[in-house]
Amino acid sequence: MVDQLAPSVGESTVEVLEHLGVNVHFLNDQTCCGQPAFNSGFRSEAHPVAARFIELFEKTDGPIVVPSGSCAAMVRNYYVDLFRGDADLLRRAALVGDRVFELTEFISKYFGTSAISGELNASATYHKCCHLLREIGINEEPLDMLSNISGLEMTPLERADVCCGFGGAFSVKMPDISSAILDEKLDFIEATGASTVIAGDTGCVYQMQGGLRRRDSSVKVIHIAEALAKSIRNSSSTGASN
Amino acid sequence: MKPITANFRSKAAQTLNNAQIQESIEHVYTGFFKGRLTAASDTPEWEDLRTKGKAIKDHTIAHLDYYLDLLATNVEKNGGSVFFADDAEEARQHIIDLAHKRDIKTVIKSKSMVSEEMGLEKAMNAEGFETVETDLGEYIIQLANETPYHLIAPAVHKSREDVAKLLDDDFKEGDRVPDATELTMMARKKLRGVFERADMSVTGVNFAVAESGSIALVTNEGNGRMSTTVPRVHVAVMGMEKIVPSIQDLSTMLRILIRSATGQRISTYVTMVNEARKSDEEEGPEEFHLVIMNNGRQNLLEDPQMRESLNCIRCGACLNACPVYRKVGGHAYGWVYPGPIGAIVSPVLTGVKDASNLPSASSLCGACHDACPVKINIPRMLLELRWRTAEGSTDKSERASSAKERGVWKMWRMGMMGRKRFDMGARLAGLALRPLSRNGWLKKAPPPISGWTSTRDFPSISSGSLRSKLSKRLGRSK
Amino acid sequence: MADRAKFISIVTTGLGRDQIVAPSADSATAGFDDAAVAKANADSAMADANSRSTELADQMATMADTNGWKVHRTSNPEDAADLVAKICEEKNAKSVLRSTHEVLNQIGVDTAVANTGASLGITQHDGDNSAELVDASKSAAFTADIGITGVDYAIAETGTVVLHPRSGLSRLVSLAPPTHIAVLRPGEVLDSLDELFAMERNDFMSGNLAGSMNLISGPSKTADIEGTTVTGIHGPLEVHLIILGEA
Repeated sequence: MVDQLAPSVGESTVEVLEHLGVNVHFLNDQTCCGQPAFNSGFRSEAHPVAARFIELFEKTDGPIVVPSGSCAAMVRNYYVDLFRGDADLLRRAALVGDRVFELTEFISKYFGTSAISGELNASATYHKCCHLLREIGINEEPLDMLSNISGLEMTPLERADVCCGFGGAFSVKMPDISSAILDEKLDFIEATGASTVIAGDTGCVYQMQGGLRRRDSSVKVIHIAEALAKSIRNSSSTGASN
Repeated sequence: MKPITANFRSKAAQTLNNAQIQESIEHVYTGFFKGRLTAASDTPEWEDLRTKGKAIKDHTIAHLDYYLDLLATNVEKNGGSVFFADDAEEARQHIIDLAHKRDIKTVIKSKSMVSEEMGLEKAMNAEGFETVETDLGEYIIQLANETPYHLIAPAVHKSREDVAKLLDDDFKEGDRVPDATELTMMARKKLRGVFERADMSVTGVNFAVAESGSIALVTNEGNGRMSTTVPRVHVAVMGMEKIVPSIQDLSTMLRILIRSATGQRISTYVTMVNEARKSDEEEGPEEFHLVIMNNGRQNLLEDPQMRESLNCIRCGACLNACPVYRKVGGHAYGWVYPGPIGAIVSPVLTGVKDASNLPSASSLCGACHDACPVKINIPRMLLELRWRTAEGSTDKSERASSAKERGVWKMWRMGMMGRKRFDMGARLAGLALRPLSRNGWLKKAPPPISGWTSTRDFPSISSGSLRSKLSKRLGRSK
Repeated sequence: MADRAKFISIVTTGLGRDQIVAPSADSATAGFDDAAVAKANADSAMADANSRSTELADQMATMADTNGWKVHRTSNPEDAADLVAKICEEKNAKSVLRSTHEVLNQIGVDTAVANTGASLGITQHDGDNSAELVDASKSAAFTADIGITGVDYAIAETGTVVLHPRSGLSRLVSLAPPTHIAVLRPGEVLDSLDELFAMERNDFMSGNLAGSMNLISGPSKTADIEGTTVTGIHGPLEVHLIILGEA
């Protein structure tokens, strides 16, 4: 999804990691972790795609960072179901899974939540994406990270931990229910008065942005990687210290 | 009750568009959900209690045969009778036969979801027994000729005006709507006489204690106490999984059940029945009957992927946490158990194909798993059922995916199996979507994503993939 | 046709076994503590109730008040009787029912109630359980204005009064009348649900388990109409707790 719809999220991720001094590689051949088919029940289709993911990444070393809580959760928590019965794949998947981190998880674990300071003048609010929160266990850390960005006025989002209604194919298969859940989320977003929403998963970003656009709202939704990257760029261009 | 889960989409749509119900359902979040969070944070050992509760249930289900045997032996030792019912029909018929044999005129019911599986109240009324629901929410539902909307609050979708129309004989459209206290007092008065004349009661069971042959009932209103006091014959009905091994286990289970259900530290009443009245007691039922029902639960038990669902203690916390339940309401689920727990047990208890909508009606947000006092991993089971419905079930009649859907995922997989074809697919999608888009967004997308654009704008394919952008930045990578 | 052995064998098969296997003693639950352990737990619960009786009474008072009990404290049994009389007068009580808890004799409740002009019945038949008498006492409970009991235990954690219905303590006396008064003595308050069930388990293990038990933690209530809490749906609308002993 990032690759084809939102490459700037991927670019921002690389930018942020390089700013922290990380040596970043990108596997050109990578495509997908297989989650969309798995979540829709088509494990036979997800299986080869996921096995390919393992084959590609097990040839690499070091942490595998992904700007998505749901992709990280797929590899770490659900490959065990997808590869059920295949002891070899399970073993290899576990080894790869141990190296997978969601972006904000990686930063807070290895660099601390104060590692990035920068500048971004905006009024914003933060939505807690479900898989990042409940599958990966990252809750307040991104908020701590955002608090280090000068000029960024954060307003707490009421019911921040309630789903935006995306849920992958659910958003298309049951659009009326997905949108009803989204409407509640957007009402709370508009109540904050913020001009920007920051969130950690691209699917959720599009669910919320698509809904806000449909309401003719000027509120922008951005991925946290983009927020962090922008803030780094702003401060380096103004010469502010990192 | 016959399952009608096939109507999920249309019933859901009705509820989404009903502003009054949407307002009423808010209470499950602002009241029950928030209540549970407060109670949990006020209980320092909360996580330990959940761990302990899960351990008790895992252990019990893993030895369910042993504990069922022990329970039955002890109920009979205490002078009670046990009836093992293979299914809901058998259970219902047994209770009806008993009522005939004992010359029963009036039956009072305390809240029981298992009795809903049997359609008991309707059947008993049809047999000529005056059968009255005594839990206020269930009484309102009975008067409305509906089924429960929620595990704990059956009438949560009813407005005060709805209730006035049902309870207040003098109420007419346009009158001042009586407040909740006035309506409650009306119900108290109406049901008072019923309690006095009832000669049989049917209650549920929150926990059956195997070692002593006891049952525990958790209530706030007092109807559970009335039901275990006034009639000659007390019948308790339970799903076969509602057992705990020991009296001591009740302290853990009551703590997690009640806080998770309503946020209370304890319900107003907890009633433990060890036997019908002792010979020198001045009142109390003369007979105690325990009906233990299977009704498809063996399908959950023998299924290692689904067995954990039998740990459920029916607190309703998953309903309160579920963003889908809070929009579509209880009736959309079409059978006795709504919400996330319903979405995993209904398909197995009633037939996967009929209920295939239910596991798909979820964004997989995981709030149910978080909320569950015994940590049932509902999302895992939703995914398991989705797989079985899509392709995984060995029983072909259980599969409900369309050839179109299977085709879509086949093409998806083909596109994902190599970078070149992945890029080609994206290029083609871009060619299709970009003409329909303005400023990178579409107002109307073609199938299969047309559902999205009915309510939201959809992003167009980017003009350059991440790979191409990064290859410039990172140089030619591996 | 339902058959116990067949029903249970279906469960056994579902668990992947061909016969019932008893759980091992090191399992998750407390079901394998023997009678000596059960007795030790109960003894320690009682000892705690006695040694911390004032502290536990204080906690009980606070929790009960939170739950909607009207809590009164007095160190003087006569004042307790006066409180009962006052409540009878406030409620315009014509008929009052009481259990045979010893504390009610100790505080002289009979005289206090008689002085208000209300009639007083005791929920005991001395062995006569003829249908007419059973029906008559049921009617009496449903028409009584006030029910008065002592407590068998109380629970500080939850603000709960525990009653074991038996001869002399009917279930209805604390349920049917719109007002219930419970009188609590020092040493009757247990710390928590753990201690209560330790007491129950010990009763069970020594063959003395009561026929039933009611935990009462406040006035009857419901929130089934628009989520609004209303007291007094089927059980008492008002519950009073009179705590005897040093405040």
